[in-house]
Parts: sequence; C-alpha cells; structure tokens
Amino acid sequence: MTGLLRIIKFSFQDIGRNLGLSLMTVFILILMLLSVNTLVTMDITTKEAVRLVKGQVNVSLYLVETATEKNVKDVQNYLASFAEVESVNVLSREEVLESFRTRHQFSAEVLQALAELGGNPFGPTIIVKTREPGDYRKIMESISETDYDPLVEAKSFEGHEEALDRIQAITTRIERIGFGLAAIFAIISFLIIFNTVRVAIHTQRVEISIKRLVGANNWFIRGPYLVESLLFTIVSVGLTMVIMYFALAWLDRYLGVVFPNGFSLTKYYQSNMLYLLLLQLFAVLLLTVTSSSLAMRRQLKV
Amino acid sequence: MIKLHSVTKYYTPTAPVLKDINLAIKPGEFVSIVGQSGAGKTTLVRLLIAEERPTRGRIEIGDWDITDIKSSVVPYLRRQIGVIFHDFKLLPKKTVMENVSFALEVAGETSSRIRQVVPQVLHIVGLGNKADRYPNQLSGGEQQRVVIARSLVHRPKMLIADEPTGNLDAINTDEIIEILKKINEFGTTILLVTHNREVVNRLRRRVITLADGQIVSDEQTGKYII
Repeated sequence: MTGLLRIIKFSFQDIGRNLGLSLMTVFILILMLLSVNTLVTMDITTKEAVRLVKGQVNVSLYLVETATEKNVKDVQNYLASFAEVESVNVLSREEVLESFRTRHQFSAEVLQALAELGGNPFGPTIIVKTREPGDYRKIMESISETDYDPLVEAKSFEGHEEALDRIQAITTRIERIGFGLAAIFAIISFLIIFNTVRVAIHTQRVEISIKRLVGANNWFIRGPYLVESLLFTIVSVGLTMVIMYFALAWLDRYLGVVFPNGFSLTKYYQSNMLYLLLLQLFAVLLLTVTSSSLAMRRQLKV
Repeated sequence: MIKLHSVTKYYTPTAPVLKDINLAIKPGEFVSIVGQSGAGKTTLVRLLIAEERPTRGRIEIGDWDITDIKSSVVPYLRRQIGVIFHDFKLLPKKTVMENVSFALEVAGETSSRIRQVVPQVLHIVGLGNKADRYPNQLSGGEQQRVVIARSLVHRPKMLIADEPTGNLDAINTDEIIEILKKINEFGTTILLVTHNREVVNRLRRRVITLADGQIVSDEQTGKYII
C-alpha cells in the first residue's frame, strides 16, 4: 500500500515538475481524439444520410384489376417471408384510385379520361421495402418465377432499376471509404501516441537508469508512468468530450436543415455518452500503457 | 567479503575486457583500484553491481553468489551496495532531500523512518541547510556529497566509488576522500576506483592495479605505480 501511494506521489511530482511535457502530451492526445471523434461524427452523419436515402426507396407491384383479396394476401405473405424484406404494405383498389385522383387533382384532362373509363380501372398495389437497395432485384426475380407472376401487371422496379443499382453502389462505396479512413486514422493515432509517449520516456531515460542504480524495482520505475498515462487519458478524454459536445451543438443547427427527421448529433452523443466515454478511455489507456511499456522495455533491462 | 573467482568478461568475442581476475576483499577494507583508461576498472564495478554478468568465473558478495543473479533480484543487491559515480547521477527533478529519500522509499522504508534518518545523513555530509535545493543549484562537491548521503542512507556494507573525484577540484576532492575515510572507519568496505595518483598515494591503503584487463599488482599499502 505504501509502495502504491509512493508511486502515485511520484507520478504527480513528475507531472508537476515536467509541466511543459505533460501539457504537450495531453494536447497531442486531445488532437488525436478530436480527429477520431470528427471521423466518428462524419461516419454517423453519413450513415444517417444513407439511411435516409435508402428509406425513400421502395418498389411497387401493380396487381391486375381482377386480383382478389386472397390473391393479394398470398402475394403479401410470400413477399414478407423474405429476410431481406423490411416491410410490405398494401394499397386497396379504392386507395389507389383515391391516390391517383389526389395526384392529378389539377389535371382536368386526366380526371376526364378517368371518368370516361367508368368505375375503378386500378388493381391493388403492393409496396415493398427491402433492407438494402441491392435486394430488390432478387425479390423481383423470384416473384417472376412463381405462380403469382400472372397477377402482377407491372412493377415500378423496371423503371428504377438503374437508379437503385447506383444508390447501392454509392452507399457501399461511402461505407468502404469510411472504413478505410477509420483504419488509416487508427494507425496514425497509434503512431502519434506511441511516439509521444516514447519521447516523454526517452527524455527521462537517465532518470530511469539512476532509479535502477539505487535499487528501485521495475514496478517502482514503471508505476509512475502508468499512473501518468491514466491521468493523461482521463484528462484528455474528458476535455475532448466537452469540446465535442459544444462543437456538435453548433453543428446541429445546420444539420437540422439537411435532416428533416429530427436527427441530432448532440442527442446521439448524449444517448451513447457512456459507451463513447468508456470506449475512448479504454482505447487511449491501452495505447498509452502499451506504448510506455514498449518504450521502457529497453531501459528496464538490467 | 567480496570474492571474484577467475572472472573473465568479453563484450566482443575477440578481446576480453577482464581476464581471469581473482580477488578477495575483506569486510572493512579500503581498497583503491587503479589503472589506465580501458584497463577494465569500470567493467569490474559494473560486474559488482550486476549491471553486467561475467562471461566466465564466479562473483560472491558476502554469502551471495551474484554470478547469474536474476534481474528481479538485482534491485535487492543494489540496496545493499552504495554506489558513487563521477557524474553524480542525481535525479534532476528531485530536491536533495527527495534524492536521498528515494533510496529508502524504493526499499520500502516507512515514512517516519525516512523523515528521521535523511536529515541526519544530510547533516553528516554537511548539507543539512540545502535539503530543498535541486541538484543544479549545488556545486560539484555538494552534488557528490548528496550522492554519498544517498549511498549511505540505507547503511550499506560496501560502498563502490567510481572516480568520485573525477569532476571535482582539489579542495572538494580532499573533502570527499575524508568523508570516505570516515565512512570506512565505521566499518563500511570502500572500493575506490580512481585515476588520481595523489589521492591513492596519500591514502596508504591497499591498491590493486589493473592493466589490459588483468591484475598486475595488489599491495596492502600500495602506491599508484602506472
């Protein structure tokens, strides 16, 4: 216990008497954390934007006028059985007619033509939404191979096929770029932290050798650096979270215009605060402790 | 008792730094080890504090065979030996008091004992009024006295002084040698590694002369002969 208290005392002494180096270490850690957080924020925003675009994509199956309620139910159940399908909604003949009238309420010629046809010329419509835009092709192809195919008069998929493929390609590319950037940032961050800690320890290599000479064991030498790593981590993560909170609150004012669904980065951070805090604490601590252990390994050899 | 049995040390496979050294130093002796640069004096010191291991041979300190001492045990050995270097090796960011206390803190001494002993030792070396100074605020002689205080504070049975006067003027050299003589009078074995002919000749104690890694002379009341 006395040993631990002395290690803590030495680490506070080291921080205070190497204040410039300590502040520089914290500053670099904050810069690194801000970079990672910016990347995370970009990733969250991009994913939300992609989700918004994907959410607006769906495919309609226009059934024949003679399709019965049982036919509609069967097709609906068949489509819902696919794991890729997120939702299947049915518009009855009456709803389709009403929708058509609403859409063309200012076009007298279209309404006149509809009246001349007499009755309701529309069949029911099934609106399918899949989890990924790339899944539409599979669903549409599989329904063409079943007994339900004669019930389908037309599919909106044919007209949107190219657009859906493009959306899928763009979203996949965005996700890959995000992953690539995250990997590059992780490597850069590791190198920055490793070198920062290494420089800090290298400047104290003479002191480490003196401590060894007077009989300090490895834990007595390494201990203060580990405690310092912990303190630097807590301070830098704490300050980064505060900076990020104010930055995101400022950013939210502009994001409100782009995202009509009320998406807010501040709310996202608030609801994931504990997770983000612990993750960053753990990651930075792991990096600083690993870096200091690697950097000290040579100095601690007797 | 320090015993070296046929100790040989190679850094490179072709040229040994120490060759077949046989040596016995009794408790309470004051021994000067002299020799030109490259004679192997510092390697001998490094072997005794287990900073290096011998390539061949055996080293004993008291009843302790330190030939193949484990790294984890080395700190315990060093707490039994006081070491003084010409470049002082003081912790620059610690005060005089903290530098001396550090040797006891790492050994697990209680805080009350440290508060009691350290001022006494600083008083003995004449630095009682400079306890709160940092090393860079002291003269060379004063810094060496802090090192001696640090080496003495855990009451070692042996004190190794590797060129302790190398960076000091004549007055400070005399002061340091007088302190070492006093420490020896209290029963501590002193191993003085030095280039200083005048110091060795005036001491009139045992002198071991090294040349090319070998002992070329070992006289009970010797002189600096090279």
